[in-house]
Amino acid sequence: MMSTTASHGRVMILPSPSRALQNQQPLIGSDMFRLKQTEPRGSRLVVAATAKYKGTKMREEKLSEMIVEKVKEATEVCEADVRSEECKVAWDEVEEVSQARADLRIKLRLLNQDPLESFCQENPETDECRIYED
Amino acid sequence: MAVSTIYSTRALNSTHFLTSSPSSSTSKQVFFYRRHQSQTNRRFNTIITCAAQQTVVIGLAADSGCGKSTFMRRLTSVFGGAAEPPKGGNPDSNTLISDMTTVICLDDYHSLDRTGRKEKGVTALDPRANDFDLMYEQVKALKSSIAVEKPIYNHVTGLLDAPELIQPPKILVIEGLHPMFDERVRELLDFSIYLDISNEVKFAWKIQRDMAERGHSLESIKASIEARKPDFDAFIDPQKQYADAVIEVLPTQLIPDDNEGKVLRVRLIMKEGVKYFSPVYLFDEGSTISWIPCGRKLTCSYPGIKLNYEPDTYFDHEVSVLEMDGQFDRLDELIYVESHLSNLSSKFYGEVTQQMLKHADFPGSNNGTGLFQTIVGLKIRDLYEQLIANKATAPAEIAKA
Repeated sequence: MMSTTASHGRVMILPSPSRALQNQQPLIGSDMFRLKQTEPRGSRLVVAATAKYKGTKMREEKLSEMIVEKVKEATEVCEADVRSEECKVAWDEVEEVSQARADLRIKLRLLNQDPLESFCQENPETDECRIYED
Repeated sequence: MAVSTIYSTRALNSTHFLTSSPSSSTSKQVFFYRRHQSQTNRRFNTIITCAAQQTVVIGLAADSGCGKSTFMRRLTSVFGGAAEPPKGGNPDSNTLISDMTTVICLDDYHSLDRTGRKEKGVTALDPRANDFDLMYEQVKALKSSIAVEKPIYNHVTGLLDAPELIQPPKILVIEGLHPMFDERVRELLDFSIYLDISNEVKFAWKIQRDMAERGHSLESIKASIEARKPDFDAFIDPQKQYADAVIEVLPTQLIPDDNEGKVLRVRLIMKEGVKYFSPVYLFDEGSTISWIPCGRKLTCSYPGIKLNYEPDTYFDHEVSVLEMDGQFDRLDELIYVESHLSNLSSKFYGEVTQQMLKHADFPGSNNGTGLFQTIVGLKIRDLYEQLIANKATAPAEIAKA
């Protein structure tokens, strides 16, 4: 099922994502309220909203990297004692960063809001506010 | 709560007009006039009518910090206007502001930042990582229509950033892990909600959330949930006994062995006897009803919809429970269900459906989570309007010798 998101006037066509991603949320076309649990079928065209500003793109990447790091850290720390405080705290950090990553994704994809929008209106010349070019 | 200043001077014998808050657009006005009593007793009656801004405070307890963007947006959209981060401020602010509502994330009251928590060996769930004194002071101030400089906890850097100015709104929502933990804060809440996600659903949602990330695997997601569970059970879960409404999200009973967490059974547990809050009911208040709307008049696709309503007890409180299992597949199913519910506090027929349609792309739009979140939003609007109406018609009389 194809859905269009006119995000900041930029639309990206991506090949069909993995099953896990696709089952996240049903996206509904604007013409009717028809909710379908779509079956993934090979490569389907999906349109996704992306970061508008360089700063946001960098933040997305940073968060993804942090998840990799912190999961690794937590796995190591917990090898010693899975019930220790250090282990709890390490996984809590993973949760915090995973949620921050997901929040950013929701903002961009679902709400079409780039968090740097109002900052960049005021400061268009900063490096962070360069329009992200793929 | 009204803020009123009282002046009593004999020279004042006409209506006096005073604006006490320069910052808020709906200014507080204090009218007072002096009226002579009868000649015999020389008492002057000063009648004070305060038409002040009321700030209604709502608490929302949920795991996963303030990522309840969709719940918040459903809630705030009932009042009209989109909730957005404060313009021109810290881009990592967790606050959302719309015309009527301001949503504050309680993570901003962390007393320990990420490094601090690591050093002390406490998770964000632990009360030791949070400054409840500051939370209480600031919520109290906002409730009294006083602006505050609220700290910002930056979830990206894990640091506490410079504070942002928060103006007292008409409706203040405090959302996070501990809105009902501290007793003083609890007393300030006009209404409280607890979002109770069962372990199986939590696991399924986190898989959906995290599996696309490079760093994660099924094992890491599972380990993270399990490591946080002891603190969650000790500090967060007990708050649900204080909530006026609990939204419980469970796996469906309509599909045997479903573990994908897509079809959900959602229960709206509503406390009885809460001021200004009248629970939603199905068909006959206080009775036990089981209803499958799909049949001759309404055709549904698999797995269909099943509703339940019954009185119950929850942590020694009388409650009414409205439950929905299954999914809405079409618009007419949603409106059919809505038309059979009572006490929705909607302003027109189909308002719930309309609100759901506004956010048709949000998760939960086709099941009880979206439905009950929307209904709770209408209930909060109703509570707000009743509170305002109540305060406006209560003049205070003071007799002075």
